[in-house]
Amino acid sequence: MSTWRVLTRKPGRIVGMCIVLFFAVLAIFGPYIYSGPLAVDPDAIYAGPSAQHWLGTDFAGSDVLQEIVIGARYVLETAALAALLTGAIGTAVGLLAGYHRGRTDTALMRLTDFVLTIPGLPLLIVLSTIWSFGKPYEMAIALGVTGWGGVARSVRSQTLSLRERGFLEAARGLGLSNRHVIVKELLPNLAPFVAMNMLLALPAFIGAQVTLFFLGVVPFSSSNWGVMLNQAVFSGGALQSTAALPYLLSPLTCIVLITVGVVLFLDAVDELFNPRLRERS
Amino acid sequence: MNTLAVRLVRKLLIGLIMILVVATFTFFLVHALPGDPGAAAYENYLMQGMSPQQAQAKVSAIYGFTSHDPLLVQYRGYMWKLLQGNLGVSISYSGVPVWHVLSAALPWTLFPALSGLIISFLIGCSGGVVAAVKRSSRWGGSLSMSASLIAGVPVAVIAPLLVFVFSTNLHLLPDSDTSNVQLNPGFNGPYIGSLIQHAVLPVAAYALLGYGAWLLTMKSSVVSVLGDDFILAAELRGLHPRTRMRYISRNAILPLFTVFALSVGYVLGGSVVIENVLDYPGLGYVLLQAIGSRDYPLMSGAFLLITVMIVLANIVADLLYTVIDPRVRQ
Amino acid sequence: MTDTAERAAMPPTSADAEVAVRDLTVCFDTDRGEKPAVSHANLTLPAGCITGLVGESGSGKSTLALSLLGAVPPPGRITSGSVTMTGVGEVTSLRGAKLRGVRGGYIGYVFQASQNSLNPLKTVGKQLLDLGRAHDVDDLAGLIRRARELCELMGMDGVRILDSYQHQLSGGMRQRVGIVFALVLNAKVLVLDEPTTALDMLSQAAVLRIIARVHREIGLTTLIVTHDMGVVSELADRLAVMYGGRIVEDGPATDVLQSPSHPYTRALINATARVSGDVTRARALPGRPPDLVSVPTEGCVFRDRCAFAMDVCSEAEPVLGSWSRDRRRACHADAETVTSA
Repeated sequence: MSTWRVLTRKPGRIVGMCIVLFFAVLAIFGPYIYSGPLAVDPDAIYAGPSAQHWLGTDFAGSDVLQEIVIGARYVLETAALAALLTGAIGTAVGLLAGYHRGRTDTALMRLTDFVLTIPGLPLLIVLSTIWSFGKPYEMAIALGVTGWGGVARSVRSQTLSLRERGFLEAARGLGLSNRHVIVKELLPNLAPFVAMNMLLALPAFIGAQVTLFFLGVVPFSSSNWGVMLNQAVFSGGALQSTAALPYLLSPLTCIVLITVGVVLFLDAVDELFNPRLRERS
Repeated sequence: MNTLAVRLVRKLLIGLIMILVVATFTFFLVHALPGDPGAAAYENYLMQGMSPQQAQAKVSAIYGFTSHDPLLVQYRGYMWKLLQGNLGVSISYSGVPVWHVLSAALPWTLFPALSGLIISFLIGCSGGVVAAVKRSSRWGGSLSMSASLIAGVPVAVIAPLLVFVFSTNLHLLPDSDTSNVQLNPGFNGPYIGSLIQHAVLPVAAYALLGYGAWLLTMKSSVVSVLGDDFILAAELRGLHPRTRMRYISRNAILPLFTVFALSVGYVLGGSVVIENVLDYPGLGYVLLQAIGSRDYPLMSGAFLLITVMIVLANIVADLLYTVIDPRVRQ
Repeated sequence: MTDTAERAAMPPTSADAEVAVRDLTVCFDTDRGEKPAVSHANLTLPAGCITGLVGESGSGKSTLALSLLGAVPPPGRITSGSVTMTGVGEVTSLRGAKLRGVRGGYIGYVFQASQNSLNPLKTVGKQLLDLGRAHDVDDLAGLIRRARELCELMGMDGVRILDSYQHQLSGGMRQRVGIVFALVLNAKVLVLDEPTTALDMLSQAAVLRIIARVHREIGLTTLIVTHDMGVVSELADRLAVMYGGRIVEDGPATDVLQSPSHPYTRALINATARVSGDVTRARALPGRPPDLVSVPTEGCVFRDRCAFAMDVCSEAEPVLGSWSRDRRRACHADAETVTSA
């Protein structure tokens, strides 16, 4: 089946693709649509939806829609960077462990176990006391360095099963160097697997960021979905009254939407990379 | 059985080393703080009217070290106190031992989290079996899809959403505290009833946290077992469908034990958010408050305790695995 | 289920155990509609004989074997024809508990590569008890005794085997345990799917000897499905050849092997290398066997690779008809032409 057919076979996948594309466009072009600082309007705090403010206003009278659009970039950029980082670190560790086995494997796996045992969120908030990682790349580093454990484990078991296939021994038997085998033989086989893992990590990292901002442990410098949630819940009293409803629901809906989009899209990616899963219709 | 004991001892030793490493890690984390926590507290005490000697003594009692000792001496002091079960003294709770604060908070995390974990495990696993068996039908597909969605939504969204729906809108459940403050704690009906009522939302939040992952993991495990020869063999030998189902379930559950420890970590991490949103005084709540007030002894104590719980969960899961799977008993 | 239990308690005599396949068609649901994996098959497994069913992969032989137990995997189903077994009746019309009872109770199936045909988490003995309970066997102790006897018959320590887990047994032992499970409920028909494929040469020889012995001692009706002519020549009394879902030839094994009357059978025999003699005499058959979708729907399915193909072969499918004593063939070419070539 051609790629296009796989992508369009189920309507859900098309929906997922559209959502992902939409947010990607938003992330890239959002700040250009709404250039300039946020307008503050003290007369219209927590106003409901109106013609002027489609999604209402926040605690300072700023337009919620504007904040959503601008906030998209930070969230998505950071999530993408973090996913890349965990992909890189996790693949390196897993590959080396699975390929060399023996002592390297044991050492690397002990390290991975350690990283996996330490609970992610508590670690991040404890970390926040010594390092305020508010900027996108800082946040991405913090998330990436703490979250590569799962990828390492998966890549290792993939490497081990690829080892069984014999083509590695053939390459070694031909006298090809370790580096050649890893880069030219193993990596291309692992690439689709790692790519899927990274895609899957996107909603997880968006969630992690949002949670960190929500808890208020990371200083925020611009409008941001997690910050919006924080403000809505803890300052806006959104949980007590319905006044700040759009303010609460807008970032919430965006997060849920992105997750839906990625999940639906991943369904197609999964089948693209695993032809065996293609069921006879 | 001999191998079981050996395995247990080995796992305990590794766990112990892990705890020691984490403790060291926490120590250096606290020590990497810019500036001097001791100095800030010292100033504080001076302002409260203590004499310099008193203030200094209090600081060294709390931190287990005075800031002027060499690093290794401080580390030794910290580890020595730790081995004695002394986690230091809380700053924000002025002088109350850290262990006191933690042990009071522990049950409020342990019971709801454990209940939520068990519920999500049971429902998620049964759902996973259904999703696997019916994976070509629309029901199965939407079941998996819904699990992926729930798994993808962060706890920072789930918890407020639950409160919003059930508390703010429907006024069914309370949104804070462990029980109605007007009631007398004890083994009386109203109190227990109120306890349970206040525990519903936290337990639900914990359950939703883990449900998606359990379902998806179980589904892929069942799908893989369904392809195994012995399942087809069971059918061709005329085995009872119920027996065949039991063969499938037992074999499919095995891989889930390896993710058990991970999920405990995830759930305990979620406690930070859930307890904060719901004003529920458990470990997560304490941890967050300690961070806010820069109460380092309490902070590192809570962090250490959470990690110890994960290590223990890991050991338990491994033991259960050994009991069920005869292949690892060599 | 008492009637099946009663039957299991009274082993039927070998005169009972004949299997008749009549006009059987098994279709699979594919992207391009329902395609036949087995087409109008007519085959008799005479009581007390070992019949070999030979063909390449994709010939439909495994599907045929599975339909004897009513176990064609979805998306396949039997669309016409029947499988009848003396003592059971029409297997193809059975459902539910009755079908379950027949599987194991009347007809035993031994897997291709029985390396993993047991639950890795339970001992062999416990699984045997599960089997007994599923078939409403009252005397479970007797079942265990029977299992031990079968183990001894195949050269294994019964007591030790029953207490073992699958991973503690060697490949050859697992294969033999598979046979035990197939026969322990006194089934009179034994189906073996590629019994030697996953084994090394020495184990292969051992398994074949065991199968022959068990067949003789118990008085079974056996069907061996294989692509290996060597296995067939050693064990089988009768031989049936399948190609593209059709049975193209059958008859007494020695006769068919010595004077094959169908071009495909000839080609198969020619392709088999021999240990002694000139290795270069083995000649591979050009082309590839058809699969579900590429099987020709008109004319003879073998014509594209056939050395004796004629014009009529593209138009009309040859019917499986009898010629000579006790032999059948489905071919337009003259039998003399093929046998003397």
